[in-house]
Amino acid sequence: MTPAFELNTSISNLRDLRASDLGPYDAVYLGNIFCRVYEDNLLERPADLAEGVRIVADQGKRAYLATYAAPRNDFLPRLRKALEVAVTAGAAAVEVHNLGILKIVRDEFPSLPAHIGGFANVYTDAGALVLKDFGAVRITPNYELDLQEIDQIARDGGMPMELLVHGKMPLGISDYCFLLDYEAAWGIECPALCQQDLFLTKDGWAMKSVGKGVLSGKDVCMLEHLPRLVAAGHRNFRIEAVSESPAYRHDVGSVYRQALTRALSGEYDVEPGWWDLVQRHSRLGLCNGFYFGQSGMDYRGVRPEAAAAILQIAPREGR
Amino acid sequence: MAILLAPAGSLEAVAAALDAGADAVYVGLKGWSRGGARAELGWDELAAARRLASARGTELQIALNTIPKARERAALLDQVAALADLGVRTLIVNDVGILTVLRRRFPELNLTASIGCGAQTAADVAFFQELGASAVVLPGTVGPEEAAACCGVGGIAVEIMVHMVEEFVLLGRCWMPSYVHLKPTAMAGGVAGATRQTGSMKRGGVGACFRICQEPWTLEAPGGRRETQRLPSRQISRLADLAAYVSAGVAVLKLQGRSLPPRALGQLVGRYRHALDAGLTGDECGRFAEPSLPPAWTVVGR
Repeated sequence: MTPAFELNTSISNLRDLRASDLGPYDAVYLGNIFCRVYEDNLLERPADLAEGVRIVADQGKRAYLATYAAPRNDFLPRLRKALEVAVTAGAAAVEVHNLGILKIVRDEFPSLPAHIGGFANVYTDAGALVLKDFGAVRITPNYELDLQEIDQIARDGGMPMELLVHGKMPLGISDYCFLLDYEAAWGIECPALCQQDLFLTKDGWAMKSVGKGVLSGKDVCMLEHLPRLVAAGHRNFRIEAVSESPAYRHDVGSVYRQALTRALSGEYDVEPGWWDLVQRHSRLGLCNGFYFGQSGMDYRGVRPEAAAAILQIAPREGR
Repeated sequence: MAILLAPAGSLEAVAAALDAGADAVYVGLKGWSRGGARAELGWDELAAARRLASARGTELQIALNTIPKARERAALLDQVAALADLGVRTLIVNDVGILTVLRRRFPELNLTASIGCGAQTAADVAFFQELGASAVVLPGTVGPEEAAACCGVGGIAVEIMVHMVEEFVLLGRCWMPSYVHLKPTAMAGGVAGATRQTGSMKRGGVGACFRICQEPWTLEAPGGRRETQRLPSRQISRLADLAAYVSAGVAVLKLQGRSLPPRALGQLVGRYRHALDAGLTGDECGRFAEPSLPPAWTVVGR
């Protein structure tokens, strides 16, 4: 039976995968899109990737391969190997943030459905249609779009959208890792450096650094707004947890599994316990991203405490 | 033979770039380019610039590299039709959807995939070749060897932005400013109802991204560590590599800097003109000394 919705998340390596309870999820994106030398990045370790796909599939979930957001020529041989392993191991789809990789997937791995990632910059239905012609079957629109624009792309682009409903929203990617400057001073070496909880703070707001990637400091939270999303026909939802703990992945995923089920039933309210849990895992408060046409760090909803810019960074839950 | 493509943000700057030896100049059409209102040309200026370039036997290219909303697409197509009537033959665009729409509607035009499209690999170049782009712009971080692989795709001209500021976050993949502040503003150029998103690098139009990446930050780490941190950025100049790019098959050597004053732009273009000509004849053009860079700029672990 086809589930009424898909809830998925992201995991970078085998260690994190084994430590994570995938119970709340229908699918998992495997691999770190930001950095080749992220600890045991599944994209760089074919045997680990095959094992990761097997672990996910054995739990009755779909395994997706994530791919690099900003590759260079010298990434491509390893990337092709990862795609080959994904096909052989039975991955259900590949997430593509880069247009050259999309062409590689279509030309060389046509059996692998392509999901378009947020860094691919789909801003309009015209862009969605181009990527559909290149074999895309699902799109994460650019994070800067509001819900009206996303609905329009889904309608006129003729493809399902995947929406980030909770977690730290990607804000940028770099070719360089400035954290390496701190290896000596902190006595922490790569690849452990970017797995610290690192926040860039300024004037009452913050972003999270994961080395080559920049994420929102606040967690995007659409818990209050799920009925709006399902009413518009969206059915693919993501908990972005690439920089989070297994406890975060489990707790937040469990909340959204229940909440989405309830939203689809047509009778919706936010359980206080859900709210407490997502608040507890959020170290800098919550935001809605760009979904309501506002600045990405703003929050719209009936729970004003969520909008607070809490610059007292709370310790990570369940680390 | 590679050409030198210069930026310009005013009619005076177009003249300065041509005087200094540019083979072609690109400008932004007011309201439709990411250069912002201060580095874009209105229709009268644009027509004058086109006449000026034509009189010198050079080309004026037009950057339309903001991404308009779907409801503004008809207005964009009207603008492009008017540009074609004006004799413009090359447009620089920033979105695969816009590129494809224009390709179908205006098959006679050359369409360049801008640096904001994010191409860096031979596979990216092949994608844009298949899409029907005439040219694709790669950042100056792509060296001559990588450029040769990209040129090997064929059927599409490869441009290198040989003079540019490389900010920490890759061009076309940054939403840091709009995370802090996103503000709809009326579009310059007077299209009724059209807005630009100030703060958005892809959809802005006022030229302001708040440059938050260039501000000092506090990097907070576990254990109470606090470090003052600036996100690294640098000025890239490939002055010493021009001949190598030409040998690699690069068709266009492009300079960034539409907001430069005419005098500074003329000096910049002149320097590259001299270096390109000297490099092609094997003459010594003087070694370009790149400033020393902090450790983070070694491409470790890429």
